[in-house]
Amino acid sequence: MDITLTKEADSLRSTALAFAQHALTHDRIRALEGSDGGFEPDVWRDMATMGWSGCVFPLEMGGAGLGLFELALIVEACGQAALPSPMFASVVEAGMLLLESGVERHRAAWVPRIAAGDAILTTAVFEPGNAELETVATTATPLPGGYRIDGTKTFVRDAATARAIVTLARCPDSPDGLALLLVPSGLRGVRRQRLSSSGGEALWEVAFDGVSVPATALVTEPGQALAALDRLLARGACLKAAELVGIGQAALDLTVAYAKTRVQFERPLGSFQAVQHHCATMYRDLRVCRLLMWEAAARLAAGQPAQREVAMAKAKTSDAIPALTRTAHQIHGAIAYYRDYPLELYYTRAVAAAAAYGNATYHRRALAHLLAHDLDTFRGDIHHGLPVRPR
Amino acid sequence: MDFDLTADEHAFRDEVCAFLTAELTEAVWRTERDPDEQGQWRREFTKAFRRKLGAAGYIGMGWPAAYGGGGKSRVYQTIFAEEMEYHRAPGLDRSITYVPNALLAFGTDAQKAEFLPRIARGELSWFVGYSEPEAGSDLANLKARAVPDGSDFVVTGQKAFSSEAHMAEYCWLAARTGPVSPKHRGISMFIVDMQSPGIRIDRYPTLAGWTHHAVYFDAVRVPDAHLVGEIDRGWSVIMGAIDFERAALAAPGLVAFQLDRLLAHAREQGRLDDPVLGDQLARLATEAEGARLMSYWIASLHAHGEMPQFETSMAVLCKRETARLFDAAGLEMLGAFAPLRAGSPGACFDGDIEAEYRDHLYFQFAAGGFDITRNVIAHRGLGLPR
Ligand SMILES: Cc1cc2nc3c(=O)[nH]c(=O)nc-3n(C[C@H](O)[C@H](O)[C@H](O)COP(=O)(O)OP(=O)(O)OC[C@H]3O[C@@H](n4cnc5c(N)ncnc54)[C@H](O)[C@@H]3O)c2cc1C
Repeated sequence: MDITLTKEADSLRSTALAFAQHALTHDRIRALEGSDGGFEPDVWRDMATMGWSGCVFPLEMGGAGLGLFELALIVEACGQAALPSPMFASVVEAGMLLLESGVERHRAAWVPRIAAGDAILTTAVFEPGNAELETVATTATPLPGGYRIDGTKTFVRDAATARAIVTLARCPDSPDGLALLLVPSGLRGVRRQRLSSSGGEALWEVAFDGVSVPATALVTEPGQALAALDRLLARGACLKAAELVGIGQAALDLTVAYAKTRVQFERPLGSFQAVQHHCATMYRDLRVCRLLMWEAAARLAAGQPAQREVAMAKAKTSDAIPALTRTAHQIHGAIAYYRDYPLELYYTRAVAAAAAYGNATYHRRALAHLLAHDLDTFRGDIHHGLPVRPR
Repeated sequence: MDFDLTADEHAFRDEVCAFLTAELTEAVWRTERDPDEQGQWRREFTKAFRRKLGAAGYIGMGWPAAYGGGGKSRVYQTIFAEEMEYHRAPGLDRSITYVPNALLAFGTDAQKAEFLPRIARGELSWFVGYSEPEAGSDLANLKARAVPDGSDFVVTGQKAFSSEAHMAEYCWLAARTGPVSPKHRGISMFIVDMQSPGIRIDRYPTLAGWTHHAVYFDAVRVPDAHLVGEIDRGWSVIMGAIDFERAALAAPGLVAFQLDRLLAHAREQGRLDDPVLGDQLARLATEAEGARLMSYWIASLHAHGEMPQFETSMAVLCKRETARLFDAAGLEMLGAFAPLRAGSPGACFDGDIEAEYRDHLYFQFAAGGFDITRNVIAHRGLGLPR
């Protein structure tokens, strides 16, 4: 047991943060919010040059050979800087999916380009009216030599800049009833509409209307789509938790700095105990969130079962970080109610990140499911039997 | 970064668990709990048990071998503390946690040689003489005096809220040796033999059903050799010792036990699939995991040779606030049976949950309660102005 960052991880985090915090002005970040692309291509190029887009991919595919834990630190840094980029869509979602579960032709074709930042890919998984994925309505109907895709997906990140969309559909051909298909975004019948959403991501609804793709569009081996999807959902939840930790850190830093300098009643606000106690609670909650996120990321990175830890991390961060940003605003008062003060960037991004990949209720329901059906997993690494003591 | 116990740490945990399970049998629970002191083990049993812990090598695992220690990392101490709390075993208190750690950090070589081996063998019980009637949170307001006289100091004054003073061989005492102002200057730390003439102990029953003490010192002679640290510089010793204290109090075994007890109850009642309860238990389990990670994070920092300060406050706050969540949630889960006490028909867990609801009340204000701890985090952790 050693819950400290290694020197390398710590320096990766500070380098990433130093870059992310100086990459764009707050005005530029605001201007990007609503645009089709959603990010600054030059900055993405720099991020690729620094090796971020490639960090989790193997050396022989042009990556840096690091793991999911390091990726989480980078995502956290981007969250802390409110820096928009296709990192989540292209690396966390599509890139890692192809790396872990992709058939060789797609892996070989796309992963090196994703790693180099030359191509952006994304995933289309969630569906309107069914964002928690109880069922999948989109279909891939077998045709001679290929499939026809029909259905509508939502919360598709960076659809305007993505070359291709890894799309989840029901498929009668497949042993698990599901297929992931690689759909070039320019194909006929693919239509997209920008969602207007809180936060900084370029999110889209994408409709597939009789889109035909060849049989080689299948991304995974038959019967492997569900497992790939489970890993994607776990990874997405864990890395949204990492983003939330970054958001929380930024909101706390702004608040503490403000409390030290804003003077009312001839004293800095931060000398008032009510303010101090708010800040202490924020700090404590943030630390708990960070530890839970680290644990989930470390387990996922090591390929260990992490259902419980991911659910705990996302449930806690999705509750605590938006709450932290509310308190941050309380301590700032009116000044941060205006758009030109940076705190609102975090207030809105906390809402979006908390809602993505399962909110707090969703993940507590997952924990409650473990409680009812798999008590050992719910309890975690505890070796004692139940019950514990004589009555 | 590694969230798993190593094979060796795992084996150690299993060993401690097996030891405690074998020692604290149902028969022992029946006979060795003190019927007059709610939630406490009998005094003699506690002392004997502490000697067993010493013989098993569990005390001072992290100290240098020269002082009877085992030279193991702090992670082992945290595993040990977690198991002890989980099993609700006797003897895990200041006597084997922060007093020896403070002695190691601040004591003279002679003091270490005199006390640490005996502490490691589990032979000594300590009480901590900080608080006084007028010096609670504002500890620097303490008034007990130690006046130099030949090769001794002569101590006169009153200590309050003195846990386990009645069974202590020694007192870890804060007394004023210098000027009253500034308050933090002029305090010194002493080790006082509780057999010394001039010491009187009063008893006060607590609302938790056990007895607390107040200790009066009337011209008690303490040899120079038992001054810890420099004269008039005791405040920094106290502050250092308090960080060790908080690290010890942050052990996560209590909340793990509280969670498991509620899980056992829910399973017995066939309510593991109750969605409302499921949501509550999911929240509680998440908080318990957070408290566990906090505690092992502190242990990891210690193991790397760092000296966490406000971080220990954060950890103890997290653990104790979580424990209080469990206290309230436990009563809620028992429904109408919640208030029933030990021995009553219908009492669940022998009334323990209601008893702990009273007992743990002190978490909120004693030894760096919730508000004082937030002050510490704000000042020392975030640098907010006083
Ligand atoms: C069960 C138990 C065991 C104890 N064991 C020992 C022991 O072994 N040795 C020993 O020396 N002492 C012991 N104590 C004493 C303990 O350390 C004190 O209770 C503690 O220091 C607080 O002092 P007080 O109770 O006098 O409260 P006060 O200082 O009078 O404070 C009352 C309340 O006001 C709050 N408060 C005070 N000042 C501030 C402030 N500046 N900002 C915000 N809130 C504030 C406190 O948090 C508390 O909630 C024990 C106490 C208990 C209950």
